[in-house]
Amino acid sequence: MNLSVIGISYKTAPVDFREQFALPGEHAKRLLRAIHDDNVFEEALVLDTCNRTEIYLVAQEPQDELPYLLRLFSMLKNTPADVDPSCFYRHEGLQAVRHLYTVAASLDSQIVGEDQISAQVKNAYRQALEAGTSKLFLNKLLHRTMFTGKRVRTETGLNRGAASVAQAAVELASRVFTSLKGKGVMLVGAGKTAELAAKNLIDCGVDNIIVANRTIERAQQVAASLLQTAATDDEPDETLCHVPPHCATSLDSNRGSLTVKAVGLADIPSHIATVDLVISSTSATDLVLRKDQLARPLRHLSKPLLLVDIAVPRDTDPALNSIGNVFVYNIDDLNNLVEENISRRQDEIPKARAIVDSEVARFAEWIDSLQVRSTLKLLQQHFDEMRLAEIEKYHHQFSEADIEQLDVFTRSFCKKLLHNPMAFLNSISKDASTGERMAVVDIVRRMFDPTTSESTHAESSKT
Amino acid sequence: MNAVFRTANWLLPLLYLVVLIDYGSTFFLRTRTHKRNPLLIVLLIAHTAYLICWGINIGRLPLNNAYEVLGVVALSMAAVYFVLETAVRDRRAGVFAFLLIFLFQYTSSVFWAAGAGEMTSAFARLHVVPAVIAYTAFAISAIYGTLYILAHRNLKNRRVGMLFDRLPPLELLGRMSWHTLLAGFLFITASLVTGALLANGAEPGHAGQVVDSRMVAKIITGCAAWLIYAVAVLGRAVGGWSGARVSGIGLFGFATVLIQIIAGAVLS
Repeated sequence: MNLSVIGISYKTAPVDFREQFALPGEHAKRLLRAIHDDNVFEEALVLDTCNRTEIYLVAQEPQDELPYLLRLFSMLKNTPADVDPSCFYRHEGLQAVRHLYTVAASLDSQIVGEDQISAQVKNAYRQALEAGTSKLFLNKLLHRTMFTGKRVRTETGLNRGAASVAQAAVELASRVFTSLKGKGVMLVGAGKTAELAAKNLIDCGVDNIIVANRTIERAQQVAASLLQTAATDDEPDETLCHVPPHCATSLDSNRGSLTVKAVGLADIPSHIATVDLVISSTSATDLVLRKDQLARPLRHLSKPLLLVDIAVPRDTDPALNSIGNVFVYNIDDLNNLVEENISRRQDEIPKARAIVDSEVARFAEWIDSLQVRSTLKLLQQHFDEMRLAEIEKYHHQFSEADIEQLDVFTRSFCKKLLHNPMAFLNSISKDASTGERMAVVDIVRRMFDPTTSESTHAESSKT
Repeated sequence: MNAVFRTANWLLPLLYLVVLIDYGSTFFLRTRTHKRNPLLIVLLIAHTAYLICWGINIGRLPLNNAYEVLGVVALSMAAVYFVLETAVRDRRAGVFAFLLIFLFQYTSSVFWAAGAGEMTSAFARLHVVPAVIAYTAFAISAIYGTLYILAHRNLKNRRVGMLFDRLPPLELLGRMSWHTLLAGFLFITASLVTGALLANGAEPGHAGQVVDSRMVAKIITGCAAWLIYAVAVLGRAVGGWSGARVSGIGLFGFATVLIQIIAGAVLS
C-alpha cells in the first residue's frame, strides 16, 4: 500500500495561482468521483481550505500522481495543462502521514493553533466516505489524524488564547463575565465588522442586542439581519466563539430567543447602563462615546461594563476608563493580546511536534501489522487453492457424495495445519519489533510462495 | 495517645501544604480540569476525623482557644471552598484560598498545646460556633475580594500578563466575595448577640463573664469588625457601591477579625 500526497499551499504558491486549483464543495466531490471511476488509485481524499489544496492517494504500487491530477483538474476546472510543477509539493509513505498529522494539528497553518482545521479535516473525510474513495487505509489514517489533532489541542497550549481581533474581544469578555448568556450587548455602528462581532456574540449565548447607528433605518436593517441570522442558522460556528480552554464552561452556546433593538446614537446614554458589553466600530472621525455624555448614566454602575472599540480613529473617549466599573479597550489592546497569545502558541510547538512524532510511529506499527494480516490471508488463500486443486485432480476417483466428504475433510485438515503458523503470526503482530515482524513475514511469504519474495521486499521498503 | 494526636496534628499542615502545591501547579501550569479535587476530599475527611477523635479524647468541642478555633476555621474554609469549587467548577482561586488556609492550620498546629480553659457551657458554644462560621466566611470573602481587586486593577490597566489570564472572571470573583461577606455578616451578628447575652449572665446559674483585658479586646475588635462589615453591606445594598469598594472595605474588616484572633491568643 503506497500513500502519497500532492498539494499546493500558501507556502508554495500565491493565492491567484492557488485559487485555480481550489476544490470547494462540489468540485472536490467531482474529483473524487473521477478518481473512483478511473480505478487508478485504491483510495483518495481531498483536503481543501483557504490556505491549501491537498489530495491524498493510496495505490498498490507507486504512481506518477501529478500528471494524472493535472489532467483531472484540466478536465474539471479548465486549468492550464502546462503549470509550474514547483508550486506543488509531494510526500510519500510515512512523510505523507506526518504531513497530514501536522496539518490537522494546525502546525502548518498560517496562524498556528487555529481551530478551523479540525472541522475541515472531518469534512474532507466525510466527502471521501460519501464518494466511496475512503477504505481501510484512509479510514484508519483519518481516525488517527483526528485523534492526533485532538491530542495536540488537549495536551498542549497550542490553541489557547485568541488569535484574531474578533476572538480577542470574546476572550476579554470571558475575563469579565462568567457567562455571556443573558447579557446585553450594544453595537455602536452598523458596518460589517459590527455585524460579524454580533454574530460571534450570538453564537456565544448573548440574547439581547441593541444596535445604535447614526441613521436609525440602517440600525433597523442590521437588527433585522441579526434576527434572521439567529433564526436560520442551525449550527453556531463555535470556532468563532474562541474561549480559553479553562473558560470553556463559561460561555454557553444558546440560540434561543434573541431580542434586537435599533436606536439612534442620541439614545446611547439612556440605554448604555442596561448593557454589559459595548462594541464600537463606526466610521466617525470624532468620538462617539464621550465621558461628558455618559458619566451620569454610568456613575452608579454596580456591574462591570466592557467597552471594546475596534474603530480607527477611535469612537470611545479613553477618559471613560476612569469610571469605576467601566473597562475601555481599543484595537491596539486587542492586537497586543493577540500577539501575546501567538507568541505563547509558538512556545508550544515542540510539544505538539513530539505528539505528532509519537502518533506517526504508532501508525507505522499499524502499517506493519497490515503486512501480517495480508500474509495470513495469503496463507489461507494459498492452502485453499492447493486443496481445491488436489480435489479437482482426483475427483474422478470419487463419487459425488465422497467428494463432499473429501471437501469437508480437506478443509478441516488445512485448518489444523495452519492453526499454529497463524497463531504465531498473530502473536508477532502484537509482540515483536517491527524488524522481527517484517523478517518473519518475508520468510513465510517466501516459504509458501517464492514468486512473492521480490514484491515483499519492495513493499516493506515503501514505508 | 497524646503522642498519636500530636503526630496527627503535625501531619495536618503537611496535608494542607500538599493541597496548596497541587492548586499552585493547577494555577501556574493552566491545567484544565473541572473534576472534584481528590486530594481535597482526602484532606477534608482526614481533618474532620482528627477533630472528632480529638474532641472525644478531650471531652469537649475543640474550640476553647484561638489556636483551636484557627484549626476549625481552616477546616471549615476548606469545606466551604470545596462546595464553591464544585458549584462554579473553577479551581483557579484554590491556590490563594489554600495559602491562607495553610497559614491558619500551621499556626494552629504550632501552638497546639497552648491555651487553657474549658468550654463546657452549651450557651458558650452558641457564641463560638457562629463566630467560627463568620470567620470562615470573612476569610473566603477576603480571598475572593483580594482577587477581585487584583483582576479589577489588571483590567483597568489593560494588563495581559501572567496573572491576568489565570484568574477566574471578574464577575465570579465579585459574586463570591459579596455572598460570603453577607453570610459572614449574618453570623457575626448572631455571634455578637449571643456573646452580649453571655456577658450579661443570661445562662442559667451563671454569674456572668469576667471582663479582663482579653475580653475587652475581643469586644472592641468584634464590634469594630461588625461595624466595618455593616458599612460594606449597607453601601452595596442601599448605595449601590461597586465591587471594588465593597471588597476593599471587606479586607479592612478581615484585618480587624485577624487582630481579634491574635489578641485573643496573645492575651489569653
